[in-house]
Amino acid sequence: MTTTAPPAARSLETVGLTKSFGGVHAVRDATVTFQPGKINALIGPNGSGKTTFFNCVTGMIKPDAGSVTFHGEDITRRPPHRIARAGIGRSFQLCRVFPRMTVLENMLVAVSRSRFRELLKGAHNPEEIDKARALLVRVGIDHLENTEARNLSYGQQKLLELAGVLMGDPDTIMLDEPAGGVNPALIGRIGTLVQELNAEGRTFLVVEHNMDMVMSLSHHVIVFDRGRPIAEGTPDVVQSDPRVLEAYLGV
Amino acid sequence: MALVVGVALVLSFPTIAPNPYILSAGIVVLSYACTATAWNFMGGFTGYVSLGHAAFFGLGAYGTGLLIRDVGLPSFAAWLLAGALVLLITIPVGIAALRVRGASFVIVSISFVLILLLVFQGWGSFTGGSDGLVVPRPFPDMLRPQHHETFFYLFAALLTVMLVVWWLIDRSRFGTGLKAVREDEDKAQALGVPTRNYKLVAYVVSATFTGLAGGMYALWFGDLDPIFQFSIMLGAYMVLMALLGGVRHLFGPLLGAFIVGTGLEYFKLEFGDTQFHLVAAALLLGAVVLFMPDGIIPAVTGLVRRFGPQESSIREVTAAELLERNGGTSPVPQPGATAGSDGSRTTSEAAPPDPNDEEDPR
Ligand SMILES: Nc1ncnc2c1ncn2[C@@H]1O[C@H](COP(=O)(O)OP(=O)(O)OP(=O)(O)O)[C@@H](O)[C@H]1O
Ligand SMILES: [Mg+2]
Repeated sequence: MTTTAPPAARSLETVGLTKSFGGVHAVRDATVTFQPGKINALIGPNGSGKTTFFNCVTGMIKPDAGSVTFHGEDITRRPPHRIARAGIGRSFQLCRVFPRMTVLENMLVAVSRSRFRELLKGAHNPEEIDKARALLVRVGIDHLENTEARNLSYGQQKLLELAGVLMGDPDTIMLDEPAGGVNPALIGRIGTLVQELNAEGRTFLVVEHNMDMVMSLSHHVIVFDRGRPIAEGTPDVVQSDPRVLEAYLGV
Repeated sequence: MALVVGVALVLSFPTIAPNPYILSAGIVVLSYACTATAWNFMGGFTGYVSLGHAAFFGLGAYGTGLLIRDVGLPSFAAWLLAGALVLLITIPVGIAALRVRGASFVIVSISFVLILLLVFQGWGSFTGGSDGLVVPRPFPDMLRPQHHETFFYLFAALLTVMLVVWWLIDRSRFGTGLKAVREDEDKAQALGVPTRNYKLVAYVVSATFTGLAGGMYALWFGDLDPIFQFSIMLGAYMVLMALLGGVRHLFGPLLGAFIVGTGLEYFKLEFGDTQFHLVAAALLLGAVVLFMPDGIIPAVTGLVRRFGPQESSIREVTAAELLERNGGTSPVPQPGATAGSDGSRTTSEAAPPDPNDEEDPR
């Protein structure tokens, strides 16, 4: 059902990425390399620029300086839809679905590179709908396919958002606080899904405040503070790094 | 079934209309239906509210008239060419106008129609200015009732084409993308939808159909004045009619046009050239926005569902029942616009106890 992403030669990296809002330096000179095929976590105190970093990488915000490279190709300042079609899918910190469309319609929005040409062919084809249904089964909300998304609970919306992103067949998936505002049972389920999808070959980049989830899930952790990475490594290494403790405790 | 009856009624209207005046009122209503449906290609799918769509109506009307008068083209060749010209003009206009969203887009759309109004009024030597432009009739030998009857069917045919195209887009990938733009444009883009191009195509289609409606009007009415062709009121009526009927529905604008158009013609007949019809239209707009934000069609279907025999949303639904209903082919009852407090959340609140249910973080 899901196409396995090609081997891990692809990678995502940024060099000197910088973005300020007025006087606020949200991201400054961030040079980060994510490990392909792994679950990368991006952590850091509130306001350390994680979401802004995400937005720069996915083209939602144009960075002031620096570059983003994906598959060895410079994607800096490309429009978001082209970055998405290149294979980077993302979720939003405050989960975003299309409220007045049904769950199934929500699933049919994503346009992957392969599907783009087919647009001209008109109506949604059966394979696509089957694929959407299979993904809904996978995240466990298939019984709601005809419900308008606004009538879903917040947790169900989060699952729908993830499933919708998967429709585009991204090989790299960026999640902004997947555990934010959801109950422990669902956190576990989302974690399992991420692991399964990673095992299929997809690279993950997860911003998360829930340390249990970060430590149990990720292979590689990058710590942001005041707009730039200050430490990185395996969960164990990062956990005992004095700079990280300092950033979090605000010494 | 209702569709067949509706079509039969429309088609037989010219034969049952008691006099040419009523028949011409019918044509006006149909032309409103054309403009409202054309508007809905942009307004309904993408949620971009253009108050200046009269610009394209006027361009289509004047384009047709001028191509006949000054170039000497046959009437319907002029009509088609004018439609093509509107299409070409709309591309740069759309690229400029669609750089902004929301209220700014509304303002840009109004300024465009105002600029055209001033140009067409001021450039009298070319457009006839406020003295008007007389458009030669396409069928000079026809008597008036026959002429009306012919144009009634021509407008009906144009409307049919629009409805078919709307229906096709509505169920296409392209349509899904446009609706996603309406719901959350940034999110749609993050999912790979080239939102700017999608909006532009919708805008051009919408404007071209509006222009064709304007050209048809010119051929029928035969006399153009910038103040009527490039009028903000005409643009506002398109918005009102589409909102009234329901912008998410194929026949929404048509229904709205029927109500508003009939109302306007009635007021003109009863009260002549007073401003009553404006007041009535304004009140109606207020009522729609306040009480039926989704328009008549969803409000009525919501009511029917609520009082219909098999609807069970008022009593408690067991988890098993709900699962069965959701799993089956029958769609989950959609909350009607007026259902608001009691109807709209019922389905989700009655949802089976689910591990995903947790507190809303907000
Ligand atoms: N659109 C914006 N306009 C102005 N300032 C902004 C904007 N977006 C972010 N900022 C500022 O940039 C800084 C970084 O914000 P960002 O949302 O990237 O942090 P974050 O690490 O995602 O925080 P959190 O963990 O709370 O989500 C903050 O000081 C924030 O106020
Ligand atoms: Mg954030």
